[in-house]
Amino acid sequence: MLPNFNYVRPATLSDAVRQLTPNARVHAGGTDLLGCLRDGVFTADTLVSLSAIEELRGIRPALDGGVAIGAMTTLTTVASDSRIAERYPALSRGVTAAASPQLRNQGTIGGNICQRPRCWYYRGEFQCARKGGEKCYAAEGENQFHCVFGGEVCFYVHPSDAAPALVALEAMVRIVGPSGARSVAADAFFVLPSKDYTRETVLGPGEIVTGIVLPAQPRGTYGTYRKVRARGAWDFALAGAAVVATIAEGRVGRVRIVLSGVAPIPWRVPEAERVLVGQRLSAKSAAKAAAAAVEGAEPLAQNAYKVDMLRGAVEEALLELA
Amino acid sequence: MGGKKDDNERRSSRGVTRRGFFTAVGAGAVGAAAIGRAQAPGEAAIATAGEPAKVALRINGRAYRLLVEPRWTLLFVLRERLGLSGAKAGCERGECGTCTVLIDGVPRYACTTLAVEAEGHEITTLEGLMNGDKLGPVQQAFLEEDALQCGYCTPGQIMAAEGLLRANPRPTLDEIRTGMSGNLCRCGAYTHIFKAVQKASELKKAGGR
Amino acid sequence: MRPPELYFIDGALPETPAPDDRPEPWTETRVVGSRRTRIDGFDRVSGAAVYPSDVLLPGMLYAAVLRCPHPQARVKKVDTSAAAKMPGVRAVITGATPAADLRWYYSRTVFTKLFDPACRFESEAVAAVAADTPQLAWDAVRAINVEYEVLPFVVDERAALAAGAPPVHDGGNRVAEPEKYSRGDVAKGFAEANTVLEASYRTATEIHCPTEPHGCVARWDGPRLTIWESTQGVYPVQQRVATSLEMPLANVRVIGSYMGGGFGSKLQADKYNLIAAALAKLTARPVKLFLTREETFLCVGNRPAANMKLKAGVRKDGTLTALELTVLGTGGAYPAGGTSLVDWLVRDLYTCPNVRTESTDVYTNAGPARAFRAPGHPQGAWALEQMMDALAEAIGIDPVDLRLKNISTVSQAREGQPPYTTTGLERCLTEGAKAFGWHEARKRPKGNGPVRRGVGMAAGLWIAGSGGPPSTVVVKLFADGSANLNMGASDIGTGTKTVMAMVVSEELGVPLEKIQIENADTGTTQYATASGGSKTVPTEAPAVRDAALKVKRQLLEIAAEELKAPVNELQIDGEAVVSRRDPKVRKKISELDGVRRRGLVLGVGTRGPNPEKKAVDPFVAQFCEVEVNERTGEVKVLRFLSANDSGRVMNRLTYDGQVIGGVTMGLGLALTEQRVLDRQTGKMVNRNWHDYKVPTAMDVPPEIASLPIEVPDNEANISGAKGLGEPVTIPTAAAVANAVYDATGVRVTESPISPMRLVALLAGKRAGR
Repeated sequence: MLPNFNYVRPATLSDAVRQLTPNARVHAGGTDLLGCLRDGVFTADTLVSLSAIEELRGIRPALDGGVAIGAMTTLTTVASDSRIAERYPALSRGVTAAASPQLRNQGTIGGNICQRPRCWYYRGEFQCARKGGEKCYAAEGENQFHCVFGGEVCFYVHPSDAAPALVALEAMVRIVGPSGARSVAADAFFVLPSKDYTRETVLGPGEIVTGIVLPAQPRGTYGTYRKVRARGAWDFALAGAAVVATIAEGRVGRVRIVLSGVAPIPWRVPEAERVLVGQRLSAKSAAKAAAAAVEGAEPLAQNAYKVDMLRGAVEEALLELA
Repeated sequence: MGGKKDDNERRSSRGVTRRGFFTAVGAGAVGAAAIGRAQAPGEAAIATAGEPAKVALRINGRAYRLLVEPRWTLLFVLRERLGLSGAKAGCERGECGTCTVLIDGVPRYACTTLAVEAEGHEITTLEGLMNGDKLGPVQQAFLEEDALQCGYCTPGQIMAAEGLLRANPRPTLDEIRTGMSGNLCRCGAYTHIFKAVQKASELKKAGGR
Repeated sequence: MRPPELYFIDGALPETPAPDDRPEPWTETRVVGSRRTRIDGFDRVSGAAVYPSDVLLPGMLYAAVLRCPHPQARVKKVDTSAAAKMPGVRAVITGATPAADLRWYYSRTVFTKLFDPACRFESEAVAAVAADTPQLAWDAVRAINVEYEVLPFVVDERAALAAGAPPVHDGGNRVAEPEKYSRGDVAKGFAEANTVLEASYRTATEIHCPTEPHGCVARWDGPRLTIWESTQGVYPVQQRVATSLEMPLANVRVIGSYMGGGFGSKLQADKYNLIAAALAKLTARPVKLFLTREETFLCVGNRPAANMKLKAGVRKDGTLTALELTVLGTGGAYPAGGTSLVDWLVRDLYTCPNVRTESTDVYTNAGPARAFRAPGHPQGAWALEQMMDALAEAIGIDPVDLRLKNISTVSQAREGQPPYTTTGLERCLTEGAKAFGWHEARKRPKGNGPVRRGVGMAAGLWIAGSGGPPSTVVVKLFADGSANLNMGASDIGTGTKTVMAMVVSEELGVPLEKIQIENADTGTTQYATASGGSKTVPTEAPAVRDAALKVKRQLLEIAAEELKAPVNELQIDGEAVVSRRDPKVRKKISELDGVRRRGLVLGVGTRGPNPEKKAVDPFVAQFCEVEVNERTGEVKVLRFLSANDSGRVMNRLTYDGQVIGGVTMGLGLALTEQRVLDRQTGKMVNRNWHDYKVPTAMDVPPEIASLPIEVPDNEANISGAKGLGEPVTIPTAAAVANAVYDATGVRVTESPISPMRLVALLAGKRAGR
């Protein structure tokens, strides 16, 4: 049951930033926030709803042929936008693979990349390190759904299906805060636990994600997102891969491979990308790249399966572009 | 749930005082409008923890003026305050779909929607699909195809189907399965539900409202 | 605290009187067997149906329960002072509250206090609050301070008997001596076999997950308590509540009416009934207490994990020579049949002269089990039916043929090996295989790439599909020809009410829309046992037919007088009584003066006894085709067919509903469901519907075919129906496992066949592990 909080619905972005006092939380779609409050994952004195700030909604053309998505745009709106579907299929597929239809109708793209970890210890009645406790329960516990890359001190996996595509597309995240606006590259937006295990993003106090900017893609750029899950809907990735590749005369030019479900942040695998540059996309090169993608994986006691599954997911994503 | 919480957590869960709150949000920075009153441009709507605020909701075409607390979900208000029990409480955490309602024609979980956030939107519940004492086409189709067993998830399934068909009047089987994937049916009536959505599409096409 | 008077039912249920004479079985039917939409369908799809969790009463308070967060702990101190002072809080109760000083019986001899200092599983009740809103009630629960002595625990049944395992109870962790069964000589049987295989199997713990959470609304009117309860059986709830509160049964009224699913978890009362009653008494206000979804994962039952080791011997020709099964299981922290019926299929499904089983039930610090759709059977089928598949392959015969070779016409494991009244298993297998295209599908290539196709099948029977006494129903035929049926049974979603109305309509000619049903209310409806175990239709339908026939007899007598025709010449035709000899001699029921003068014609029907020295079981065979992605371990069920012998088909529409529902639930056991308890703390980590994965619309095939093998069982009862709801879920998971094996060559012996497990097994196979 939800604990008490104040509610404020500012009409302007500048007012929203002002309202974001230390123990206030941003309410975007609310799907993740309300669950966390209900489960006592964290508390909030005040919820600052962004729902009345119209400028945060919608998809517009951006400079240089890119596309800008307001942070409060729902996942459904992103998924059903023809420009996104045609030019950024990796993102379109990512948001379509998220959660359930109702949650996509409510959840926003800004909220999606600011989700708190879905680790069942973090969400449950466990005073884990990320909540100020002594230890990471996943390290020695039920870690079948935890990470194989980048854990070190906290082993959750990043829950977003959109974020890997955003990183692969070299998107920029727009942020507004008390000291003004800034933009951060998507792959610099997420924070590894080894750097700071108390937060998942670079957002500072009083900062709000206002939007995403997708840069124009060169001709011949293709993309996809392959997600493996335990259940057909309403399930986070066990392993997945967003791939964006520019192919000219049958050969891979630029390529970005970003993994989901295996690390606390969207996990880019440059080694696998290097394997492909200059190559034709074939069963052989895809298998080679997939093998490179899992190099360095460090499974926990119960998630060694992720290495094989991930290899399969990367391979299939690449073959889809072939 | 249960269990002992440390002191800090308990204090915060009880909320802050009214005075503390206004101090916290920075007095004088902006004009404060009560929830429910038309907001002047630039004004924030505010509701205080644990205190009822006036909210205007539009449900099934009727206007309701209600007193709600910030933490009350739309589902709680519908079921326990208004007696609109068509929306069911299954998990109250956005995981089963029994509470599905339409908000501006789009299926949403009422359990993860704060009542204060529903202000200004058109809410439709199962009761709102009735044509007087006659079933709407989706309801009729669910009855005819026996797309239910215990019937508890059924209102949510019907609302999800209604929302799906409003957005996509002639869905393919795959689109139906995807569209209905946010609603659990533990009795396992899914394959009958697929048939019902197909039939509802036909009934709607034939003029059913 | 003195022990209350116990109302426990031991041994066989008492029998209600047999019908005066046994009517002829139906030959041709007009209504029974057809496809009829639900008579309460309008209520269910319009929102008019009021479920217990929908009940709103004037002045109603909301309750919440503080539960122990540890799997094993002792409550040392409960401080409710802060909670009691909070605004909107009307009552706080703990083990120290006199009104809550009640006993809770887990069995006749095992009981605790309602709020017991000894907490043996996570979520045992410690205190409770009633407040103006549920939000305030939970605020107060969070403000209660409990001091626990946290104790060592054991939550894995495989570790419960190890030396040094923390004891759940003082006497250790064995619930009882192992249960043993034996016939013939298994050593001799194995010696006679050409092939002997042995394997270990495990099914994970499943949670019932009805969509309406468990709960009730309780209200006192002076000495009388009324409980609106989401339940499969109002009478068992009444009995338990009256026992614990030491009240006359007559003063406890339990109203069921609609309910949002139970699957066995709502066959009984729960502590929350007493908590709601105590809070309602103390506050003199109605109290609503529904568990949160998270609580329902912990303390209202589960299908416990089964660890099975099965050895089987077979001759070259497919004759089974010996079966030997050992089972280890747990019902959790209290006696709850942790291994109940897991061995039944091994004992009884196939002809086998030499069988030995041994089941060990242990205590663990986890929530007590409850009956769950076909208790024990899907677990046993998981082992036996995968073993049959392996035996068939080993001796090179078709899996269907191996089963056909071993069909039994007697129940070998029952006392005296009584014959079955009917067994349609052979037809389920042969006609099911034909309708599915089994032989063709087996021959199709599996595919060379990473995506493989395979087919699998499995069979089963259900031990308790006969139903039986006691049951009493009342049919009232009004003077205008409309009818009212009064019965105690709950309609748990299977369409019971509709089937019963069809029986009335069959006998009395009353159209379904002129039949109303009152049910599931101890205050106003007749005695019935809980709806569960697939026994509701075979229990209630004969009683309803009996009642309708009694009305009919009186009606014909009245008509005979008015039509001046002999009774034995008259019959009901539509809504009129007509002479068989002369169709002009007829009178509409609504025009019979005799009925008008009496106001109505009343028939009291009872369920007669089951046939002596016979076994009445339903049978099933299921077939499926799957697609497995060997790169990722993903399994997609492409199509599924269930062939069922459940006797007479009463309503084809709701019959098919049971079939698709049971298969869907079986797919959950096969592919996605498992309770996960944290090895470090013993706490359940997946107590929600995101982490505990019940199947969604994306996890079922587009169509699940239902093939009734209709063998009306006229010897079983006067409706000819046997149970359906449980058999449909029994072989499902095993059929999927066999199909996955056919596709990949990997045998998944532990459920669920998740991508996590399968991708690891496939990698192991490639690596030659």
